[in-house]
Amino acid sequence: MITITIAIVALALVVAFLALIAGTFEDLESDVGSQSNPNSQVQLAAQIGYVNRFFNKAISGEPPSYGVYCAVSAGIAWLLLNNGLAAILAIPIGAGVAAIVHVTLASTAHLGRVSAQKRFEQPIYMDVFIRQLLPIATHGFIAVLSITTICYIQASVMPAEMQSVFPMPLLGLIWGITIGSIGSSVGDVHYGTEREFQDRPFGEGKRVTYHGKITRYAECGIRNQNDIVYFCAKHGGPVTGLVFGSILLFENWRSLLGFMIGMTPEAQVGWSIGIGVGIVIVLIVINYLLVGFARKKYGEFVGE
Amino acid sequence: MDLIVLFICIVAGGILTSIGVHMMPVGGAPAAMGTATGIATGVTMISTGAAMTGLFTASTVETMTSNIWLVALSGAVGSMLMMAFTMLGGNIIYILAAGIVPVSGRVDVDPITKRPFLPFKTPQTDGHGTPDVSYISGVMGAFLGGSGGALIYYGLVNYADFSAPLAGISAMGIFLTNAVLSAYNIGGTIEGFHDPKFKLLPRALKACFIGSLICAVFASLISYAGGL
Repeated sequence: MITITIAIVALALVVAFLALIAGTFEDLESDVGSQSNPNSQVQLAAQIGYVNRFFNKAISGEPPSYGVYCAVSAGIAWLLLNNGLAAILAIPIGAGVAAIVHVTLASTAHLGRVSAQKRFEQPIYMDVFIRQLLPIATHGFIAVLSITTICYIQASVMPAEMQSVFPMPLLGLIWGITIGSIGSSVGDVHYGTEREFQDRPFGEGKRVTYHGKITRYAECGIRNQNDIVYFCAKHGGPVTGLVFGSILLFENWRSLLGFMIGMTPEAQVGWSIGIGVGIVIVLIVINYLLVGFARKKYGEFVGE
Repeated sequence: MDLIVLFICIVAGGILTSIGVHMMPVGGAPAAMGTATGIATGVTMISTGAAMTGLFTASTVETMTSNIWLVALSGAVGSMLMMAFTMLGGNIIYILAAGIVPVSGRVDVDPITKRPFLPFKTPQTDGHGTPDVSYISGVMGAFLGGSGGALIYYGLVNYADFSAPLAGISAMGIFLTNAVLSAYNIGGTIEGFHDPKFKLLPRALKACFIGSLICAVFASLISYAGGL
């Protein structure tokens, strides 16, 4: 029993660590390829005369697109595993196929979007197009590889009590949608609020009149997505990873603790629910204190 | 009898989903620029992400117990955890990376903590960040949405003879049906239960009731044909 518990704890920590990497790279991929909500400003920029060298890749919202990549990767890996291939080969091959799908969609999305802006005199810069595809593929590959490994652990490696009833492809879809929605909600704020409008006053919400007027010049030369991912890797990406890692860590931890405390299956589930509610209450208090800190530290709005 | 319970599970799950979606503090694309209050993504996307986390837990719990309340609550707590961490992460970026104080754009004073918003709000914006009231509303919304998704899953597995993977996909589909119908009612952004748009809820409930009923009819037809 103790051996199984140690194994579950170790696997839960591995899953949390993989989630941290996946979350970080998912957000950085959306920065290096400009996807999701902040990309609305890249799209708008050309329309108001701000010709730019940003990569304009709005395949779809991040959750559906990552749902597709992770389901494709987990599906291919599952197929290869069932045909006797070792996990160490099957999972990277699955993630590799997903990267091909990803780059194909990125190419068509960028070329389609920018060519549609011809009337606004936004050119398709071929060097921007070609140079960005590899960083998009590699960042996406790491994120999808981590998610596929999480799915493999949850579907096949975890001991019986903690093993998921869902097969790998469905887990890929579930965690793909989840990580997409987290990356879109957390890390994109750093790209959209801060990096896209860096020549505007710091410490205020970006006014409607600023919309589309993005910062087009970098610390040196003209800004492109590589300048953005370098900046967002300092805050946006790691916080996204921390959030996704924490979700999986505490989700597994509360279940494990409940299973250890309770005597009957009903009591075990009851305990895990109670512990989960306790964690949420603590988070509400932390958020209250954080907002209070911001109000005290920054004070009232003093601009015009 | 099974058929009646199946209908109740799917319709009740759909209604809970709809109420939950209306309580999510979602600012859409403008929130990513700090121009609107709430989470910087679409309401359907964040609701589905939260519900999927809950569904993952609920599916494991469903194999341990046949108690419907425990399965629904497990899904609800999984969703709450996901939303609570996500909103906190968003606020960490707003506050520590962009130097912005979270405020509401729809009310002048926080209805729960009584903190004033107006002096902290940037002009020409509709608020920014996730303030206390929106945070609590989001957690409550995740509770309802997660329990709704888990309830639909439980009904499909136990009363329609669906296999676990197919029940998972079907529950996701029925959840999305209700979430999209509710998202049309919201029209992009909502701050939570204190937002005036929340009063539009009865209209969405009618639509979700009909939508869920149609889904339940299809589920029962599949069940009648021998399950999946």
